[in-house]
Parts: sequence; C-alpha cells; structure tokens
Amino acid sequence: MSDLVEQLVHGLTLGSLYAMVATGLALMFGVVRLINFAHGEFYMLGGYAFWYAYAELGLPYPVAGLAAVAALAVFGLAYERAVIRTILARTWHVQLIATLATSITLTNLAIIVFGTQPKEVPTRLSAAILDVGGVRMAWQRVLVLVAAVAIFAALEWFVAHARLGKAMRAMSQNREACAVVGVDVQQVALATFGISAGLAAAAAALVSPLFSIFPDVGALLTLKAFAAVIVGGFGYVRGAIAAAFLIGIAESLAAGYLSYAYKDAIAFVVMVAVLLVRPQGLFGRRIGI
Amino acid sequence: MRATRWVLGSAALVAVPWIAAAVVPGQQRYVLHVLIFTVLYGALALSYDLVVGHVGSLSLAHPAFFGLGAYTLALLATEARWPFAFALPAGIALAAVVALAVGVPMFRLTEHSFAMGTLGFAIATQVVATNWVDFTHGPLCVTGIPKPQVGALRIATLPAFYWMGLGALALVALLYRGLTTFRLGRAFHAVRDNETLAAAASIDPLRYRMLAFVIGGGVAGGIGALYVSYVGVLCPGELTVSLSVNLLVMVFLGGVGSLRGVLVGAAAFTALPEILRMAPTWRMVIYGLLLLVIVIRAPDGLEGLMRRASSRRRRPASSGA
Amino acid sequence: MALFETRGLTKRFLGVTAVDAVDLTVEAGELVSLIGPNGSGKTTLFNCVTGYLAPDEGRVTFQGRDVTGVAAHRIARLGIGRTFQLVSVFPRLSALENLLTFLQQHQEESLVGRLVRAPRVRRLEAAAVERARSLLDSVGLGARAEAPAGTLSYGQRKLLAFAAALMPDPDLLLLDEPAAAVNPTMIEQMKAQIRALHRQGKTVLLVEHNMDVVMDISQRVIVLDHGQKIAEGPPEVVRRDPKVVEAYFGR
Repeated sequence: MSDLVEQLVHGLTLGSLYAMVATGLALMFGVVRLINFAHGEFYMLGGYAFWYAYAELGLPYPVAGLAAVAALAVFGLAYERAVIRTILARTWHVQLIATLATSITLTNLAIIVFGTQPKEVPTRLSAAILDVGGVRMAWQRVLVLVAAVAIFAALEWFVAHARLGKAMRAMSQNREACAVVGVDVQQVALATFGISAGLAAAAAALVSPLFSIFPDVGALLTLKAFAAVIVGGFGYVRGAIAAAFLIGIAESLAAGYLSYAYKDAIAFVVMVAVLLVRPQGLFGRRIGI
Repeated sequence: MRATRWVLGSAALVAVPWIAAAVVPGQQRYVLHVLIFTVLYGALALSYDLVVGHVGSLSLAHPAFFGLGAYTLALLATEARWPFAFALPAGIALAAVVALAVGVPMFRLTEHSFAMGTLGFAIATQVVATNWVDFTHGPLCVTGIPKPQVGALRIATLPAFYWMGLGALALVALLYRGLTTFRLGRAFHAVRDNETLAAAASIDPLRYRMLAFVIGGGVAGGIGALYVSYVGVLCPGELTVSLSVNLLVMVFLGGVGSLRGVLVGAAAFTALPEILRMAPTWRMVIYGLLLLVIVIRAPDGLEGLMRRASSRRRRPASSGA
Repeated sequence: MALFETRGLTKRFLGVTAVDAVDLTVEAGELVSLIGPNGSGKTTLFNCVTGYLAPDEGRVTFQGRDVTGVAAHRIARLGIGRTFQLVSVFPRLSALENLLTFLQQHQEESLVGRLVRAPRVRRLEAAAVERARSLLDSVGLGARAEAPAGTLSYGQRKLLAFAAALMPDPDLLLLDEPAAAVNPTMIEQMKAQIRALHRQGKTVLLVEHNMDVVMDISQRVIVLDHGQKIAEGPPEVVRRDPKVVEAYFGR
C-alpha cells in the first residue's frame, strides 16, 4: 500500500513538473497562437543555469533558483525579439520548423558546452526524507508540489487582476479586437514569452534536485507538455494543468506497475486515447486562458 | 536537345564509379560511399517531400517508417533467412501498413497536434526499438545483415550498391513525378493550399493526405531496407528525431515541393558535411541554425533562389510585375 | 419533384439557433435568392447543405436523394457547386490550374498512364484545358489564364471562383454573396453571368445583400430573419411584405 502511495507521490511530482512546463506552452498558444517546439529546451537551459548558480557559484538554493528564472526570462525575451517576433506573422509550418530547428540547435550546443554526462544537483531538501506513516518521500517533493500550486495561484491572480495579465487573457480571446482597443500586442507577446520561459526555469530549479539535468531532457518534456495541452483542451491553461497531473500520475503508475522502460510512451498513449474519444480535449474549451 | 541532355546526364550518373576511379583514384571508395548515401537520402527526401511539400502535412513520423523498413529487412534477413527479393517488399509493405494504421487517428488531428502526434509516434517507435531487446536486439544492434542477392546477381561492391541506390532514386523520382502532376498532383496541392475549397472541388482531403502519407511511408521503409543492406548493421539510433530535422533541412534547403530542389538539397546536405569533416554535434548545430535561417528568410530554398535568378536573367530590363 | 429541398433544417451554436426549422424548395431551372439581415443564418444554411456543418435537425434532399450531413467533397461530387462569401481560390495555382482542379470526377487516369504520359492522359488533359480556357474567356479572364490566382484582384478572383464552380457542370449552383465587395461594373458583370446561367437552364440559389441585384435578377426570393423563414415569393411581392420591411428596418 505504501508502495502505491509512493508511486502517487512521484506522480504528483511529475505532474507538477509537467503542469508548470505545460502552462508555459499553453500560455504561448493561448495568447499568440504559437507552439514553441523549443519550450523543453528552456527547461533544460533553466536547469543548467540553476546548476551553475547553485553548484558552481555556490549560491544558496532560493537565490540560485531565482537567478535561473531571471536568466531564462531574459533569454526568453531575447529569443522572442530575435526569432519569435518574425515568425508570428508566418504560417504554422514556418513556426513549427523554426522552433524545432531552435530545439536541435540548443540541445546540441548544450552537449558541446556541458557534455552529455547528466548533472546531479542534490540539495538539503532532496536528501532529507519525510516519513508519513511508513510512506517515505524527499522533502523536495513537498516543495515542488507546494511551489507549483503557489505559482498557479499567482498566475490566476495575475491574469485576473494585473494589467498585463488581463491583456494576456483578452488577447487569447480576441487578438484583433485587442489591437484596436490599444493593447500593445507586441509587448504582451513579449511578456508572455518571458513568463513562459521563466516558468520552465522555475520548474527546472524545483525538480532538478530530484532528477538530473542533461541536454536531451527537453525533447521528451516538450512532447509530454504538449500532450497535456492537447488533452486539456488546446490553449486552456487550467485544462492543461489538470491533464498534466493526470499524465504524471499515469506515467508513475505505469512505470511502477507496467514497465519502466516504456513509461515515456504513456503520455503519448494518453494523448492519442483522449483525442480519439474527444478531439476537443477533456475540458472542451478551445480559446481563452 | 532536351532528350540528348537527359541521355548524357543519365549516362554520366551511371558512369560515376569509373569517373571517380579516373579523377580521384585514391579516394574512389570514399567518394562512392558518400554518393551511395546521397542517392539513398535523395530518395528518402523525395518520399518526405510528398507528404510535407505536396499535400502539406507536417509529419515528423518519417524516421519511424524508415526504421520499420530497415528493421523488417534486417530481422527477416538475419533471423528468418529471407532472401532480399522478399525482405525488401516486406519492409515496404510493413511501413505502408503501419502508416495506414497510424494515419487514421493522426489525421483526425489538426496542424500542430498532427505534428506532435507524429513526433510522439516516432519517439515511441524509437523507445520500442531500444527497449524490446529480445526482438530488436536493442542497443546491441542487429548485425551481419547479408548483402542483397537476387538470383545470380549479388550486390557486394561499392559500385554495385551505388547503382542499386541510383536505380532506387530513379524509380522514386519517377513515382514522385507521376504523383505530383496532372489530376492527382492538383488534388494534392488543392488540399495543401485550401482544404475548404478542395472539398468544394469534390476532393476528399483525408483520402489524399492518407495516400501521400502511406506512399511516403512505404517508400521510406524501402529506403530503410536498402540502407541497412548496405551498412550491414542496424541500431535504434538510426531512427531518431534528428533524422526528421535532417529531412526538413534537405527539403527546405533545396526547395520544398520541387523535384530538382529536393535532390539538390539532399546532395548539398549529404556531401557538404563530408567535405567539411564536421563533428556530429557541431554539424547538428549548424543544421539547426541553417534550417532556422532558411525557413524564415528563404522558405523556397535553393530552388527558389535559382528560379528568381533565372527569371531575372530573362527579363533584365523589367521594372517588376 | 423539386431539385433541391430542405425540411425543418435546424442548426444551433452554443444556445443560439442560427437556422430554425427552415423549409426551402428550389425547382430545376429556377433562379432563387436567399436574403435577410445580417446574422439571419443565410451562410450557415449554405454551410449546412454543402457539408461544411452538420445540421442538428431536418433533412436536405437533392434530386430525390437524402444528402443530410453528407461530407462536403461528396456533395460537390453529387453535382452541387458553390462559391464562398470570402472569396476562395488556390492562390499558388494559375487561374487555369484553379479551374482544372475542379474537374476531379470526370477524369480517369491510371498511375502508370500518368507516369509514361500516355496519349489518352494527354487527350483528357487537353480537353480539360480547352473547357477551362473557354470558361475563363466567358468571364473575361482569358488573358490572365496563366497568372497565379493570388496575383488577381479581388473582383477577378470572384470571377475565377465563379468560373471554377461551373467547371464540373453542377446541377445546382449555390452562390454566396456574388456581388459583395466589388465595384459597380463588376456587379453588372456578375449579374450578366448569373442571368446567362439561368438562360442556359442552370439552377441557381444565391445569398445576397445587394437588394438591387436581388430584385433585378431573381425569379423568387426567400427571406430569413433570426434563422427563420419569414417570407417567400416573387421579388416585388416580398419587397412590400411588412414582415420583411420590419426585419430590415428595425422595430
């Protein structure tokens, strides 16, 4: 029984990770209708930035985490200005190929710069074990879940109350009207991208102490995050979050009880299964965050 | 005139092994090796362009079909001792059947979801190939794949493999031509450019997308089988996502939707790194950047540049249309 | 038996009934206009009967056979042609190739024949090209036959779409706002083209906002308001119908 609970805990950790990454992807799609195939690489770079700040520079954990988020937010803004802005007006083929190309470039650059050996980044919390009635888990896992929930709550508040957040929501519903009303479409797109990248880095800073960082980690992550976005109902952030947790738990249970080797295929299986039965995703809504 | 050029050009292509022996005697084996890859990749790129360029389905599943054909021949030839003449069609058939099965759910997805779904399928295929060690040998690879033998004809030398590849390329190019012209070609292009209007022209978008996908997949499987017959060894690393990126580079660099363009792209793509002797990781970085720049700045690729250059030559005093 | 008929056709979107139990009949050879204020459901009805939307209720019959909910490409194959409100062409193809694309079901070619450019294939292709050129000439686009459709002006593209819809010789032609967003000369040309079709015995159902066009060329007018049919009859009668006046000029 405790075995099952541990699998579920692991599932929640995975779910939190996928949800944070999927949220960034869903935001991008909802606000500017762009699928960023290189989104997983933002996570990967965030992980390396965190590793560098924490393990190489010796910064305290929270500082290192924030440094990673800041670094990636800046990188995200720069990338938006350099590439995304140009391809926003183009067809989705161009967008897809351009971001896929970015993904390959970043992954291979990471191999050159950091090498293929995974980086382990243990922290105090990842080593400390919490024991709840026979169920053992690293404290870091609690942090991951709590932080994820806090981030989602902050995002909800932001979209409902902050000027930029409200602009993002408005753009996700009707972009043309926003331009007419005086919303700075370029600025909102830029900010959304920065937030998206920052979210990925935050996920990396939270989860890297538990899993390791390696150059290829982005590819599978993009796929699973995308699966969550599709299963949740394209562009609908809350749906993506719920679907991400569903996928995380399913993957953990499958790894524990079915086959560890094929666990990465679970997200894909869930996605195809949902799409065959309900092409608009579990939560149906298509537009609007 | 045109016919003479065709005959001369074909003769030159066939005579390459002798030309290489005469021009670069010490390097003949290396040059032929590169050319074998070039013709095989050329055929593979054409099969991909059918799907991406002519019917507009951005599939990332092609490596999976390439791998399916390769594994089918590799396993049938080594474990079941099937002769090449049967293993090759089996590889093509399996890849085509899987393409049909996968296409049915995939084409219910739109655009991005379709791309992601096909990517997921490609990754899933790689995961299976790597982990089903009992069947596919996993990372231990399938080794000792025999050289093709059809009756008395045995393909074992480099020139022989080159001619086999060249023959395959010629067949695929002929098929490509036939599929992308006249009524069928127009139907494909209609689906690509305006699916709603295509339906009003009594063209069933699903039917044509599936047709291109299945034929493209089958051909990819055939090329995979030929490839593995040449290399002699098959590891799961052959069917990674990188192959999709490579194909995209070949097709977009050369000119998506154009026979000549795609072949030029495949030749440039395969020959260039050999000439530059780049390390694999740096190669991928360059390809990624190249693809990024091409798709944004020159989506018509080299073919587009060539066409613009030649039309400018024909109308030197034109002030623009 | 009417050529084309809808019975109780209904389509709802998120609580709004866009098309409300509409009964509509078109006899062979008629020229009928479907009018109504903005949002009255005209284009939705078109989309329901041409396979782009699935009706929630009701039946659509064409030449005696039930075509309710049949997919768009099959509807086209059965002999119903249409144009679109936002003019739709294949921009990368030439005007000629646009028309050739519409001739799908009338050509038989084998793959092998195509590969070796067999004489029969070439003959069929030549016949198709000839028909396309004559249609282009009849709408005044003969000189632009080789031009990519994307380079044509809006009005020219409308004429092209019109010619393309005629290419497979449909038994029923549905025109969605043929006179919209074009200059008066083009409108006259459109009217002349539609009248010519009618004289040839073709059946035409058109959706139109331009009252002059409607009154000028229609044999019969059907009026929709908020998804419901509120009036039907010859143009002069419908124009004076108080319900129609109220629908257009407010309450």
